[in-house]
Amino acid sequence: MLKVENLMVFYENALAINELSIHIEEGEIVGIIGSNSAGKTTLVNTLSGLLLDTQLKEKRKGGERITIFGKITFLGKDITDLWPDERVKMGIVLSRERHPVFVESDVEENLKIAAYITTKREMKENIGFVYKVFPSLVPLRKRKAGFLSGGEQQMLAIGMSLMAKPRLLLLDEPLLGLSPSIQVKLIESIVQIRKDANVTILICEQFARPVLPIIDRGYVLENGMLTLEGTGKELYNNPEIKAAYFGV
Amino acid sequence: MFVYGLINSAVLALMAIGFNLTFGISGVANFAYGAIYVVSGFLTWSLINKLNIPYPLSALSTIIIIGILGALIYRFIIKRIRGLVISEVIATFGISIVILEFLRYVGFIGFKYSLPMFVSGSVEILGAYVDIQRLLIIGFVILLIIALYIFTHHTKIGRAFRGIAQEEHTSLSLGINPDWIASLSMGLGSSLGAFAAIVILPLGTITVDGGYDVLINALSVCIVGGLGSTFGIIIASVIIGYAQTLTATYLAPHWTMIVSLFAILVILVFKPSGILGHQKELEERV
Repeated sequence: MLKVENLMVFYENALAINELSIHIEEGEIVGIIGSNSAGKTTLVNTLSGLLLDTQLKEKRKGGERITIFGKITFLGKDITDLWPDERVKMGIVLSRERHPVFVESDVEENLKIAAYITTKREMKENIGFVYKVFPSLVPLRKRKAGFLSGGEQQMLAIGMSLMAKPRLLLLDEPLLGLSPSIQVKLIESIVQIRKDANVTILICEQFARPVLPIIDRGYVLENGMLTLEGTGKELYNNPEIKAAYFGV
Repeated sequence: MFVYGLINSAVLALMAIGFNLTFGISGVANFAYGAIYVVSGFLTWSLINKLNIPYPLSALSTIIIIGILGALIYRFIIKRIRGLVISEVIATFGISIVILEFLRYVGFIGFKYSLPMFVSGSVEILGAYVDIQRLLIIGFVILLIIALYIFTHHTKIGRAFRGIAQEEHTSLSLGINPDWIASLSMGLGSSLGAFAAIVILPLGTITVDGGYDVLINALSVCIVGGLGSTFGIIIASVIIGYAQTLTATYLAPHWTMIVSLFAILVILVFKPSGILGHQKELEERV
């Protein structure tokens, strides 16, 4: 479904992603595991196209020079130079790191804003679906998103990306800053989303322990380089992973 | 006194709404706003008097043409420097000077340049005689604010406006194109400026220098009210509107311009985010 070939991303002369090739098949949950500064966020920003926007803005103000090499294909089409809004229309939707929701709007309005590319009828259906996946958002419907807790904002952020009818959902550190019990709940919701909405999911995460059991395949990134790949089970039982991410 | 103050407030609010809309959504401080206001006046005048188009039709086409002009200014000039605040101010102020001084050069000076009233005549309210046109302004402001509220809360484009205003990158990752929305907001802001011109200008003559006054007034209302906040604008225009009317009555009319500038100064000293600085309010509460 998605294929990344020899991707390299530079910030000035610093190499953020080095010769990375990954692929995602329809219906899978794929995990990208890596510690801080491994290049996870850069990778999803490149996949969603946001990096192109950042690149242009930096260029305008004469700031950091960002260079992208390599090729990204989605559903057989080369999307390397496609802008983020075009990619969203094709079905690649990103839920960004640290759940940046629209803090001044209430929960329901956040979902409505997120329904920009869909029709009104689809919007109503999708709102119903989001409330089904995250029932705890229902009593908060009229609350301003800025007053929600971190976990609730994260659910909202994922809900918002569901509003855009994703075929491939990119989740950037969905577990960041959440308590272990909420992490477990969120992971269950992610599995449910794949089942009910028929979405392919890519999770970037450093908390490997809750993520590895639910993924079909995983890649381990270190300093922008692919160091390991395998099925979720293989990675879970890998002694190096255990030492590096489980603290055993 | 009460009535004139209210009308003055409504005039200020009407001038400020367009400026505020563009700033609130795309973050572009459109310093060409005053020029757009004046151009709208002259354009309507020319359509009526040179091309003999009936007044309502000229007014409507002015609003549309100016809206497109605003969007084009964004597309071809501001888009390239988007995000560089100082450059945006310099560019829009440059556009403003070019337009205004060009109009002066071409010779749009004189008392014949005035727009017809919608309804002529006056009524007596609380012991003061008031033109119906001035009362209409109050009505238009109220209508406009309601219309804008409905637009930004219940239409898809309006919601996208609110999204872009709050979190540009999140909006982008949901498929909303910021440049498209920003050019729409600039177009709509300019249209509102044209609308303000058509409603307000019949009260006097159209002058080139009026453009600078409108810009200063709009700016001071927006800064005092808190940039990007519609409710703040209403409060600020009432405060400044009455302050101006009082100054004109008890001091002298030519002191009124100082009121706006003084208001900017005072608010920047005591509450830099404005009376209702939107973003700040939430931060303070959390």
